[in-house]
Amino acid sequence: MSRKPHVRKQYWNEAEMGLWERSYLPEILRGLFITGGVFLRNMAKWMTGRKGALTTYYPEETRWDYAAANRGKHVLTRRPDGSPQCIACNMCATVCPAKVIEIEAGFDPADTAHPKFPVRFEIDYSRCVFCGLCVEACPEDAIRMAKEVPDLPSDDRRTMWLAKEELLQWQPQGDVAKPYPPAPPGAGKADRS
Amino acid sequence: MPRLTIDGREIEAPAGQTVMEAAKAAGIFIPYFCWHPELSVPGNCRICVVGVEDKGGEWVDIACNMPVAEGMVVYTNSDKVRERRKATLQFITLNHPVDCGICDKAGECTLQDYHYEYNGERSVSVDSKVHATKHYDLSARIVLDNERCIQCTRCVRFTREVSMSFGLGMQNRADHSLVRAAEDGSFEADAYSDNVIDICPVGALLSRSFLHKSRVWYLKPAASVCPGCARGCAVNLWHRRPEWRLRAADMRAQNEGIQRVTPLENPAVNGPWICNKGRDLAKVFGRARAEVSMLKGRPADLHGALAQARSLLASARKPVAVVSSWGSNEELAAFKAALGSRFTTFVKADHEPQAGEVLEDAILIRADKNPNTAGARALFGDAAPAIPKDADLVLVWGEGFDFRLIPPEAKIVYLNAWLQPENGHADVFIPISIQTERDGHYTNFAGVTSAFSKCFAKPVGVADAEAVFPALAAMAGGGQ
Repeated sequence: MSRKPHVRKQYWNEAEMGLWERSYLPEILRGLFITGGVFLRNMAKWMTGRKGALTTYYPEETRWDYAAANRGKHVLTRRPDGSPQCIACNMCATVCPAKVIEIEAGFDPADTAHPKFPVRFEIDYSRCVFCGLCVEACPEDAIRMAKEVPDLPSDDRRTMWLAKEELLQWQPQGDVAKPYPPAPPGAGKADRS
Repeated sequence: MPRLTIDGREIEAPAGQTVMEAAKAAGIFIPYFCWHPELSVPGNCRICVVGVEDKGGEWVDIACNMPVAEGMVVYTNSDKVRERRKATLQFITLNHPVDCGICDKAGECTLQDYHYEYNGERSVSVDSKVHATKHYDLSARIVLDNERCIQCTRCVRFTREVSMSFGLGMQNRADHSLVRAAEDGSFEADAYSDNVIDICPVGALLSRSFLHKSRVWYLKPAASVCPGCARGCAVNLWHRRPEWRLRAADMRAQNEGIQRVTPLENPAVNGPWICNKGRDLAKVFGRARAEVSMLKGRPADLHGALAQARSLLASARKPVAVVSSWGSNEELAAFKAALGSRFTTFVKADHEPQAGEVLEDAILIRADKNPNTAGARALFGDAAPAIPKDADLVLVWGEGFDFRLIPPEAKIVYLNAWLQPENGHADVFIPISIQTERDGHYTNFAGVTSAFSKCFAKPVGVADAEAVFPALAAMAGGGQ
């Protein structure tokens, strides 16, 4: 059975190449000069502290226009006295589909209102799927997700854990649910925060 | 025997039995808080109400204190019963703080289960809850949360009827009732006190050693046998579920540790109780392990150590073995089969009673602090270890043997699981696995054999004694 020979499809904007284009090398060099020129111009601007290309220079630059509801980096909220609002109930760790939250609980018999508190609260961002179920499961509004993404570029997945100290850095100015600013570090019980 | 009908099923129950017992025996579930099969019947929680058919309709009363009668017709789930149960739960939770989020009992709490099953509603009370002591140190081992307590008095009756320490009682009345320890310290001295944690139907009594250590659904039990004494109580060793293993740096050690120990009901041995020593097995099994074979204190690989032990055994004229009373029946049988005819064998006590520990009592605790003395003696006789002066090779298996009893010129082959100074004195030292790293059986003092199961992997470089003995015999020509 004979096959029909392949016929290349003809486009309406088919390039018409003259002898100069067909000789191949000059056009290649021209293209290299265009891209190389743009690259060198952008690099020169970057080295002298100016903005070159329109792309975001991650990780030195991050986007500013995340949606308000974007699920980014986790934050742990605080009580007015500066201690973490978390009661170490492990609801977030239990509901987490990627099982990335690990909490070690402590016991403070002196504080009858909040006797259980997190000694350690760690999230492994190398496995986090940013689903937000931890925020929904929390009975205490202790964990939320900021719109900014965690700034964790790394070539070692073991270094992509964020601990309680980092997650507690959130400054809730202007937040209706948390109108108070957190107490400065050192205020209240130092061993609790 | 009276015949009665429960939920339409005809049941025959011995006279004198209560409806609760008859229903339980027939597999019909009636909820209960204060009732316990091993304790007296106080009838104070009222959750076990059942309906009984009568001429005037249906009357409702508690099943735990109602004797069975001929022709009785009982309903456990009629409208009237459900309504009464719901009201009772509203009443029981009247002052309960509902702080399940920080309660260690959450997940295995009877009150939680019944609430979802039989109530499922918020409190209808508009009055504020009565507050009580949130943390009261009932003893050095137990923390009491009086707000969570539902005053079922199971713990009080336990100390009066089972442990006989009379260490607990109730103070005050009504909303202000408090469980308190007797002033004479008898609860502190009660060697069975931790059982009140298990029988507490809510999270009022909590173990200090397990306090906030882990949520219970992260753990799973491994059926095991307590090696603390010759009773060999059945226990559950709770350890981290593999799917919930921790990965954060320096939290990983928790994956390989016993988080808590609870009794495993075994009517032939311990019933539903164990003593406080059994609760602290994590300390026994958490000791530093020997993980490297040694030749006179110099590290060697397991294969080389076995070869050296084999050549020592081949040249020995009078070998003597001291076997462990912590070895399982399988390991002891392996020793007997492989090396039994080559060695003069004695059974030693690996553990002697410690100062301050209860030596023996009429409840569970036995004076022999080793789990398998009976199993070992059945194979190797009752003689106490006495190393003859002309012994030229001594194989010691397990800890707790005084090396000064060994003639100085005799070679020593030592099998031990723990990091101990004697290890370096042996000519050949072989590290062996512990009970939590293998399956096996122990035979207790009364001849009852109980099984224990593996819950952790053994460390690299550690051998199972059951495999070491045939390996020693393979070239030494033992066993023939």
